[in-house]
Amino acid sequence: MYFHKKRCVAMLLAGGQGSRLKVLTENTAKPAVPFGGKYRIIDFPLSNCVNSGIDTVGILTQYQPLELNEYIGNGQPWGLNKSHCCAQVLPPYAQSKKSEWYKGTANAIYQNLAFISRFDPEYVLILSGDHIYKMDYAAMIDFHEKTGADCTIAVRNVPLEEASRFGIMNTHPDGTIYEFEEKPKVPKSTNASMGIYVFNWKVLRDYLTADENDPNSENDFGKNIIPNLLGDGKKLMAYSFEGYWKDVGTIDSLWEANMELLGKNPAFDIRGTGRDRIYARNSAMPSSYIDTKARTVNCFIAEGSEIFGTVKHSIISTGCYIGEGATVEDSVLMPGTIIETGAIVRHAILGENSRVCANAVVGGTFAAGEKKEISVTQKNAIVPRGSVLFPGEML
Amino acid sequence: MNLMGIIFANIYDSSLGELTNKRTMASLPYGGRYRQIDFTLSNMAACGIRHIGIISRYNYQSLMNHVGSGEEWDLELQEGGLEFLTPYASSTSSSYRGKLDVLNSAMDFLDFGDEEHVVLADPSLLYNLDLHKVVEDHIASGKDITVVMKDGIANGKKRLDMAISRKNGEICDMAVDYVAPEGYLASMGLFVISKDLLIHNVKEAVARNLYRFERDFVLRQYQAGALSVNIYEYDGVVLYTESTEEYYAANLALIDPKIREDLFRGAHPIYTKVRDQVPSYYGENCRLDNCTLADGCMLEGTVRNSVLFRHVQVGEGAVIEDSVIMNDTVVGENCYLKCVILDKDVVVSPGAHLVGTPSNPIILKRGETV
Repeated sequence: MYFHKKRCVAMLLAGGQGSRLKVLTENTAKPAVPFGGKYRIIDFPLSNCVNSGIDTVGILTQYQPLELNEYIGNGQPWGLNKSHCCAQVLPPYAQSKKSEWYKGTANAIYQNLAFISRFDPEYVLILSGDHIYKMDYAAMIDFHEKTGADCTIAVRNVPLEEASRFGIMNTHPDGTIYEFEEKPKVPKSTNASMGIYVFNWKVLRDYLTADENDPNSENDFGKNIIPNLLGDGKKLMAYSFEGYWKDVGTIDSLWEANMELLGKNPAFDIRGTGRDRIYARNSAMPSSYIDTKARTVNCFIAEGSEIFGTVKHSIISTGCYIGEGATVEDSVLMPGTIIETGAIVRHAILGENSRVCANAVVGGTFAAGEKKEISVTQKNAIVPRGSVLFPGEML
Repeated sequence: MNLMGIIFANIYDSSLGELTNKRTMASLPYGGRYRQIDFTLSNMAACGIRHIGIISRYNYQSLMNHVGSGEEWDLELQEGGLEFLTPYASSTSSSYRGKLDVLNSAMDFLDFGDEEHVVLADPSLLYNLDLHKVVEDHIASGKDITVVMKDGIANGKKRLDMAISRKNGEICDMAVDYVAPEGYLASMGLFVISKDLLIHNVKEAVARNLYRFERDFVLRQYQAGALSVNIYEYDGVVLYTESTEEYYAANLALIDPKIREDLFRGAHPIYTKVRDQVPSYYGENCRLDNCTLADGCMLEGTVRNSVLFRHVQVGEGAVIEDSVIMNDTVVGENCYLKCVILDKDVVVSPGAHLVGTPSNPIILKRGETV
């Protein structure tokens, strides 16, 4: 088989459990969690790749991969199913002398060096499947090439008081990184790593191989590979990204990111025309239907939904049903959710195909400034008729 | 089942005026996110037909663009799949007066496959039907041809391509181009016939300068006692779109939940080309009442009893009633539209008033600005 040489191969780390998403990732990997009415989290990095002209993407899966694998399929929705390009799912595999799970982010890439080397790339782009953003990776790769760096790390400016939650890159004025601090107690700067790396392929290969031979390593990019590169005096550059970027690793941030799609001038405009369009695997659903008795205010409603009740400031995904007299406010309904007559849903994330039976109440309202406790149901959950799921409660 | 499909893409083009000026009947947008041929293709694909010829004689660019390689219907195949049978697709030059003519020009396609039966369909009718049952019924009947028919269409006003009346289960009258009274069954333009018999009769008819399928083949041979006819009566939803008025009504019919249920959640899903639009956004002051909407719309105004296609924008203060608004059309602020069909990419400037009637809706051409 002939493999075209590629300028850049992307490796997408999609194996994490995402345990802070609690019941939403009980049976599925975080990148497969639905988002924004008709998307899944992984659509964002995958679409960014396609829009940046990167047509070879290895997707590293490990935790509960069934749904994710099925979703990615042959990569057709992203145009990654052609003979010269691919979206290839790379699960851990048995090797002749040993077989092991992916021990860490670096080890996951290490175990798939053979996949990358078939394309003999100049650069390898490392991505994670936990973030909502639109980014032109090609501009970052150009920056990397122009500066002659061995590794470039995308960073964004975060408020100083939040900086200690992130991996912080301390840089010289020209953007050269001289120090990396993982979640520093006293941050020296506010350049937070976005978990997006461009490596020269040969540098990456050598450091991953050396790291694998170090029995004390945790095989992690942030903890091991980056500090090793810095220690050896390699050239690491910080690439500043100014656009919208959101880690949706927690229930609160996932809810917020969904809400940030709403409004006439949303914080994150998910729409796109050409090279900022987000692609998703589409379901064969007819148009949605809005009944005479329905009220729909400041909301997203995806195809295949039938609305008879009131929807305010919410995301209604593909194939949902909201019955007469039901109210949905400040909530995210994942695909196939059913809200029966008279039920009330506020400040909630309802997992795929969950059902809120007649006159049940989910979640509550909060005073301005008060912390919003989001109620969550997992996939296929049923909130029984007339029952109550309290604010912050999970089912 | 060993079946081949033939779709006649251009039937009735001329009766829809401006809507089919630059496209075929088959590629006419329908129901918010479909083209009419999606129903035909989905019906055929769901019943395992893997070799489909689309006969199209003109205006087929939009159709080819929509259907592409057929991957949305799983018809992008190593063997068989979709074939466009255009005027220059065969070496036999032939005129295009009727279905027999065009079948004759598609003879290479018919001859090539090893399928036993052929399903012939017309995308100006919309239905979600299990073709398996039709073909099984055809084979069980032992008859030469099966005509799929619908009761309740004949009304003494609508001219039917083919109408049949029955008594005690036997055919007692068969007529073509007939304004049949109530009680007659109307043809759905859907036929099942053995391939060999079809080829033989197409060649015979064309040799005699006959070209109309219903009149010159089915009716003529039936009356001569040379063709046995099986009737398959379909009891599901069938929408005819043979005139502008019917097309308009067929779109607004989707507001009825029973019709939606039958058409979209019936025998199988209806597949269409993916457009990757975002979900529709409903603004602070919008008011939607009894509407169906596809993805990608931006809604600030009021819309009643209407069908909105993908990525339609409705400005603040605008009111739309009883209308069909196609893809990417922009309705400006404070417009009033009633009984209109706006084709794709139409721009209605703020404050415009357009009022048609259900029997004579106002049609704005693709790309027009008002």
